[in-house]
Amino acid sequence: MPLLEIENLSVQFVSGQGRRRRVLRAVEQVSLSMEEGESLGVVGESGSGKTTLGRAILKLWKPAGGAIRFRGEDVAGLAGARLAAFRRQVQMIFQDPFDSLNPRMSIGTAIGEVLAIHGLRGKAERAARVAELLQLVGLPGDYAERYPHEFSGGQRQRIGMARALATGPKLIIADEPVSALDVSVQAQIINLMRRLQADRGIAYLFIAHDLAVVRTLCARVVVMYLGRVVESGPTGALFENPAHPYTEALLSAVPDVDADLDPGLAPKRRIVLKGDVPSATDVPRGCPFHPRCHRAQAVCAEKIPPLRNVAEGRCSACHFAEELLA
Amino acid sequence: MTPTPAIPAPGRSLWGEAWQRLKARRGIRFCLWILVIYTAAAFFGEAVYWRSRNRDEGPSYQRINMNEAYQRPSVVSHPFARARAELGPAAAWTTVAGEGCRHLFQHPMGTDNLGRDVLQRLTQGARIAFQVGVITSLIAIPIGVILGCLAGYLGGRTDDVIVWLYSTVASMPGLLFILAISMVVGKGLKGVYLGIGLMTWTSLCRLIRAEVMKHKERPYVLAARTLGAGPVRIMFRHILPNVFHIVIIAFSLRFPSAIGTEVFMSFLGIGVQSEPSWGIMISNARLRLWHGMWWEMTFVTLAVFLVVLAFNLVGDALRDALDPRLRAGKR
Repeated sequence: MPLLEIENLSVQFVSGQGRRRRVLRAVEQVSLSMEEGESLGVVGESGSGKTTLGRAILKLWKPAGGAIRFRGEDVAGLAGARLAAFRRQVQMIFQDPFDSLNPRMSIGTAIGEVLAIHGLRGKAERAARVAELLQLVGLPGDYAERYPHEFSGGQRQRIGMARALATGPKLIIADEPVSALDVSVQAQIINLMRRLQADRGIAYLFIAHDLAVVRTLCARVVVMYLGRVVESGPTGALFENPAHPYTEALLSAVPDVDADLDPGLAPKRRIVLKGDVPSATDVPRGCPFHPRCHRAQAVCAEKIPPLRNVAEGRCSACHFAEELLA
Repeated sequence: MTPTPAIPAPGRSLWGEAWQRLKARRGIRFCLWILVIYTAAAFFGEAVYWRSRNRDEGPSYQRINMNEAYQRPSVVSHPFARARAELGPAAAWTTVAGEGCRHLFQHPMGTDNLGRDVLQRLTQGARIAFQVGVITSLIAIPIGVILGCLAGYLGGRTDDVIVWLYSTVASMPGLLFILAISMVVGKGLKGVYLGIGLMTWTSLCRLIRAEVMKHKERPYVLAARTLGAGPVRIMFRHILPNVFHIVIIAFSLRFPSAIGTEVFMSFLGIGVQSEPSWGIMISNARLRLWHGMWWEMTFVTLAVFLVVLAFNLVGDALRDALDPRLRAGKR
């Protein structure tokens, strides 16, 4: 049984009423599944619905359709003690380390509160556990008295992880956990995440737009565009040989240091996408990517390409996936 | 790599920092002292009131002494010259000084038409003014905060009902409503307190609601939700401390207006009945002004002016000190 299974999940935001009613389809018909201890990367531009997907899994948004199953249990119907158990097992790390900690709470109180909500009553016990958690993420245990504004970005991200780890989760949804940090600090946080994964068997749903980070951490990747999954597959194969023009464009945007330094190597072809991501309230007809696609043909404006298996373990939503792979 | 910022004294909360910033301003320190003196006067007045009540005797500040009526304030009436005149030119200097000091402390702000000491009644009036500020706040602030949090966080139907409620209350003419409530409850302070309290929660409620709506989507609240905190805990333990500066500022700004309203109500004869309040003193002093008794009016208005000014300045300074955005700018 997979750890997390998502089936045809859609999330919509409705604004206005009557004639001015607009439906923003943030996540549209997304399906994916994760095994225990696996790390799955979700990549895409801003506005592609990655964050919404992560928050929908945590029940922060109500899905408009589809199902989320955690260890075979439908998440939508959870309440009471079962919901609390689910909350213990699925946690989140946020992008902005400055805003995801309550500025009026000392970090000891913030982490201690989580323990209290989930039933660790004794005060002394709680303090000891807080110190232990802080040490686990590489901070001195006696920092518990301090307030968030007294820490740097990297330290705060560690505190956020300590708080997420407090409940002993099995799945952590990491929403761009390093994109607000400096590169050297990024490496520290990534290493910490890997160590925790190895020690505790935590699965990560790693949401990012930085492909290099995803490459180092994730075994499998899902590429999203306008709320839809356009491609998925094992990280290595997908990065070597993308089966969707959007992935191709994303990969070509990663600067290649080797090619720049060595004039003998053939320069990589840079695919520049035309325009911006269309508004999710007004999705183009046919393939949602076709207005910006460098391989678009007449059929793309007519027919929506379904997400289909194109090779061993790989899916793509492009009419010409086979040609791309060839 | 981000340079690790020099970590200041460990574990200082944002409240602690705001207090330091507030104290650093000299004008504000002066205002804070005025408020301390005012509070002390109020507590002293309270003690005198209960002492005379427990002993079942007429309070000293109501005792009529016609021999001493219309005395000018001793601070302006040359007490030493008066002492010399009483004792004769041959008196020793030390005796004159002693006698002069006695005069000085006898009625520093003079006496009214019934020979009652103005300073004493002023102190006693601070008690009523303080009570009005505190009690009306105790009624209005909890209503505003709780309804504001509920409306802002829960949204939907709850929000609609609360918005309707405060719009309705805010659209009623305040003074008439206070008058109506005091008529129902009966003449006296209780009605004034209740009336002011039930009328003045709307602006705070609106502010809190707007601020809570902003905070509701902030990642730290989402984090609390994913960590399994319930709505009540999120509203009152997570969001409320982050919007509490609004409550403090609202308190410091509504205090003087509550005092003003009480002065006005007492002036109209609806508020306090047998106690010296600042409103009653102004009302009485007005009738004596053309007897040349300028001091009662002067000192009472001066007291009202100073307290209101101090509260307003401190309120403004609090806003500066507590505003999270200003703090972020300094970093």
